[in-house]
Amino acid sequence: MKEFLQLVVVGVSTGSAYALVGIGMVLIFRTTGIVNFAQGSFAVLGGLFMVALVDDIHGLVAGLAAVLVVAFIGSLVGFVAVGFRHRTTPLASLIITLGIALLITSLNLLAFGDRPHTYPTIFDRAWDIGGVLVQPQYVLVAGVTLLAALLLTLGLQRTIAGQALVACADSRRAAELVGIDVRAVAVVAFAVSAGLSALGWVLLTPVDPVNYDSDVRIAINGFAAAAFGGLASIRLAYVGGLVLGVAQQLVVGYADKIPGLGQQARQYELAAALVIMLVLIGWRARNEVHE
Amino acid sequence: MSAAPLLEIDGLVVKYGQAIALDGVSLSLEAGERVALIGPNGAGKTSLLNGVCGLVKPAAGRVLLDGRDLTGRAPGEIVRAGLTQVPEGRQVFPTLPVEANLLLGAYGREFRHELVSATLRYIGRRGEIAVRLERVYSLMPKLRELRERPAGRTSGGEQQMVAIGRALMAEPRLLAIDELSLGLAPLVVQDLSEFLVGLNEEEGVALLLVEQNAVLALELCARAYVLEAGRLVLAGPSDELERNETVRSAYLGGGLEVADAEPGTQAGPSS
Ligand SMILES: Nc1ncnc2c1ncn2[C@@H]1O[C@H](COP(=O)(O)OP(=O)(O)O)[C@@H](O)[C@H]1O
Ligand SMILES: [Mg+2]
Repeated sequence: MKEFLQLVVVGVSTGSAYALVGIGMVLIFRTTGIVNFAQGSFAVLGGLFMVALVDDIHGLVAGLAAVLVVAFIGSLVGFVAVGFRHRTTPLASLIITLGIALLITSLNLLAFGDRPHTYPTIFDRAWDIGGVLVQPQYVLVAGVTLLAALLLTLGLQRTIAGQALVACADSRRAAELVGIDVRAVAVVAFAVSAGLSALGWVLLTPVDPVNYDSDVRIAINGFAAAAFGGLASIRLAYVGGLVLGVAQQLVVGYADKIPGLGQQARQYELAAALVIMLVLIGWRARNEVHE
Repeated sequence: MSAAPLLEIDGLVVKYGQAIALDGVSLSLEAGERVALIGPNGAGKTSLLNGVCGLVKPAAGRVLLDGRDLTGRAPGEIVRAGLTQVPEGRQVFPTLPVEANLLLGAYGREFRHELVSATLRYIGRRGEIAVRLERVYSLMPKLRELRERPAGRTSGGEQQMVAIGRALMAEPRLLAIDELSLGLAPLVVQDLSEFLVGLNEEEGVALLLVEQNAVLALELCARAYVLEAGRLVLAGPSDELERNETVRSAYLGGGLEVADAEPGTQAGPSS
């Protein structure tokens, strides 16, 4: 039981970070129709920038700077992906984001090398809650993530700028007709999404080191989280991320116990995640039909 | 020298790829006027509005508002120049509350190039916009009742009101309404028509009614243009058009005969 809870704690935390990536994908997909494959790169950049900055400046400032810089990079990616003219199709945009993801991966390799990067957590010891050891960093990731998701939802519902984003998602044609420049909104959606993804890995890196090529794993997990809600719902993407994170930890945790699999279990993490996700998506689709 | 008409369209051509949807149409409309543009499905009516409102770039021709050439400008610029479109099929923002739908009509008018400055300008004009919102609510009290309901969960007639209200939030001098009556119950259409006539007569907002429903459009407007297969085939006062054999036969389901265009009627405002 203790081991189970331990795995759940870790799962909720990594799942939260996946959830932020998934939410970013939903935001971009809903406002632009683009599936953004560079979403994982934003997360990796967040983690790497944090590692690079945190030695020299206060962690809070470093984190904020990392998030803002990645948000800015995100806006540039959005600008390119949406296209300079109105004629870029979602498929072309998707391929552009894929190209940008590859480019960022190569640049990361050049700039940061091929070893895993991490930085020490500010918390000096784990909490012992009824025998379950909880790393405060995990709680921090889960808490900040939840707060960010709530703030985003509130912003989209309650502020006029947020409503303009939702308007583009609801009806791009009508949004254009009232005078909203849909391309400009797309750039903002990319920036916000990039910032969110970066935030996840700024916080997660102390407990889950980041590699120059972690973006593939992150993008796939984030996409799976987003797909849980049909790429349409922020709330379901959040739930999807948590479910995915926990399920993955459980699979990896207990696969260790299967003789002959042992140390290789980690390699199956991603495959396990995808199988779990397919099952869940299928299950959700079935329930929707029966409702 | 007489003042320029509120809207003047000159030889407008709209293409989708190679397909010509609108083939050189000219028309004009004075401030405060009510004018109908009628024609069968696929005639190019929506394409004309899209060309005028900046959704598609015209392949040729000119669009002038108050004599100012705004051909091919972004939709926001057309809105700021005083022309707002109520699109075919209403196109409300379904997940947003009715009130947010209305406010976005005012927000879009402040949108130039990017979100941040648009939002700042909007906030700067909050007072004015609140007054305008009150005005729209007093014109359409039903919308006040529905203000918190997601627009997608209102009836078709209510959605048409939301779309009109959203357009009015941009303070247009010319409202172009694409297929007001499509898919709505006759009683609802009658209410909306009365509202629009009142809006025109009391507030002085000019109307361009774009309709397949020629009976309705001719009844509401003093003057009409008839479009078929991308070209104007007839134009003139509504009562004359109502007596016209070609138009009459079109009401009964037949297509309009291009060759039957009356030589005596000219495209342009009758003066
Ligand atoms: N987005 C589009 N792409 C290609 N062809 C279009 C498009 N919109 C309209 N058309 C074509 O242009 C012609 C005019 O259509 P439209 O302007 O919608 O007519 P109306 O509004 O009078 O029914 C039709 O033949 C239609 O098939
Ligand atoms: Mg039409």
